Amino acid sequence: MTTPAPLLQLVTAGFRYNDRQILANINLSLPEGSCAALIGPNGAGKTTLLRLASGAFKAASGKVLFEGQCLSAMSHRERSRLVALVPQQLDVPFEFTVQQIVEQGRTPYLGLLRGPAREDRIAVDRAFDLTDTTLLRHRIFNELSGGERQRIKIALGLAQQSRLLLLDEPTQNLDIGRQVELIDLLHSLRGEGITILASIHDLHLVPDNFSAVHLLAPGHALISGTPTEVLTPGNLMNAFHCAPGRHPLLVQQTISE
Amino acid sequence: MVSVPSGPRPEESARTKQTAVAASRLPIAVSLLLVTLAISILFSLSIGAIHLPIRAMLAALLQQHALDETQRTILFAIRAPRVFASAIVGAALAVSGLMFQGLFRNPMADPYIIGASGGAAVGACIGIVFLSQFAIFGFSATALLAFAGSVLTMAVVYSLARTHGRTNSVTLLLAGFAVGTMLSNSTYLFELFDPNSTSGTRIVAAWLHGTISIPQWKQLAIMSCLLALSLVAAYPLMRRLNTLALGDDYANQLGVRVETARIGIILVGSLLTAIAVSLGGLISFAGLIVPHVARLWLGPDHVRLLPVTALAGAIFLVIADTLARTVLAPSELPVGILMVFLGGPFFLYLLRKNKREYTL
Repeated sequence: MTTPAPLLQLVTAGFRYNDRQILANINLSLPEGSCAALIGPNGAGKTTLLRLASGAFKAASGKVLFEGQCLSAMSHRERSRLVALVPQQLDVPFEFTVQQIVEQGRTPYLGLLRGPAREDRIAVDRAFDLTDTTLLRHRIFNELSGGERQRIKIALGLAQQSRLLLLDEPTQNLDIGRQVELIDLLHSLRGEGITILASIHDLHLVPDNFSAVHLLAPGHALISGTPTEVLTPGNLMNAFHCAPGRHPLLVQQTISE
Repeated sequence: MVSVPSGPRPEESARTKQTAVAASRLPIAVSLLLVTLAISILFSLSIGAIHLPIRAMLAALLQQHALDETQRTILFAIRAPRVFASAIVGAALAVSGLMFQGLFRNPMADPYIIGASGGAAVGACIGIVFLSQFAIFGFSATALLAFAGSVLTMAVVYSLARTHGRTNSVTLLLAGFAVGTMLSNSTYLFELFDPNSTSGTRIVAAWLHGTISIPQWKQLAIMSCLLALSLVAAYPLMRRLNTLALGDDYANQLGVRVETARIGIILVGSLLTAIAVSLGGLISFAGLIVPHVARLWLGPDHVRLLPVTALAGAIFLVIADTLARTVLAPSELPVGILMVFLGGPFFLYLLRKNKREYTL
């Protein structure tokens, strides 16, 4: 990979929560325009890593750099214009419409008194456009299906107009049709020049769709590389304690190697 | 590459129309509510043991016909202060209910349930029983202690519900309920310590049931200034409440300083509660129901709900207090008790009718 100055860089970053070391000594770099997958077993700290990368969590050791600048030194607002995180869950207590939800993506650009202006409406329209969800705008968010919600969460992230989009398990709970649609969406976002880092459990989706893979496993150093470099039976066995040949969706890929 | 969605759903156009109507509804709603408020105030002023014809009041207002001495006394010394006080109490309760529901992301929150009212009541009782003569900068000790009581209670409730830098909204609600109940019931103790037992006790007892007293005009002026101030302070927080509805994590990553926003919301909500409690004692349900109805009508956008909730709350309490002092005339029902009988069934009806809104 050619790396001029990476868009995001974690330098020996570590994080602890209640005296429990969750991440230690993580080195990761995301070149601009890349589409990287973050894989690893449950509880390996993928969500924590994404939160570190978004600046929501402050690294206990090491640094998180956005274009060479320390993310934790920036204001909340500055940070949220650079990095958007799409979490796994979005629960809304009242009957907000999809439009109202996605408009919240403009929060980093709005003052306390100023309502959405023209450029905000354009950004929101564009987010609906990119995620192909314009028809859902006036629906009630809580009444959407899982696949629709996933798209709206991404639209909310896109309305932030950030340069880096972090997705926490975007394919979780999606049927195969919706998974393919979501992968198509990631491709088109990449075409827009948006840098993506997505944590993902569906390993069979990784090889053809992501330019880089980062494998995070407890007790192991982060393994980074192209899908063929990282997704080897040995690596997977070490990380997941499960021979990939035993998982039906992975049989073909590992045999073909 | 992106697959084409399978055309608009059948309910799509209906929904779209519905939201478009909702968007244009705000100015209509506000003007409708303003007119209703004016009418209900006029009616409330005219109804009572001695009837004051609306026509006579309007004529006096236009300086065509002066009212006679008795009518003037009834109007300016008794009825008008009470009607305006009930409007202030209603607006304050409704807006603080809106803010607490939004903050706790829970439609069951209101200043009474969350403990703010209980705290304000304890503070105010101390003021009534021990410090009734004191005032600082024109604010009575009662009002100041009510505010201090509600802010302190909210701070305690909030820190009780907080673990590892996070606040669980269900824990918060339960902690608020427990602390609030302890506080509002402990106000009974003031009856024991009351130095001039008869009058103080009566005031305290009336208070606990929620009775809107007849305030001095000066007190009324101070309270309306405080109400205006807190509504102005509430306005910028409404956009924050919309973002906080997505949850703390989301709000944080959208650039909101969650802690700062929360403290602001709690302070303004507590101030509103204190205003309501120092004029009307413990009145339940108004802060719960009014934001609900407004939300059913206009959707959950807090920015739009603020003016509507304030006006609707004022109307609701003006009408309720008029009923409270007239239905059982010549004896008077505490408005708080009337509110329980009106509000309880209505709330249960809403709960059954619109179940999906209450899933959390």
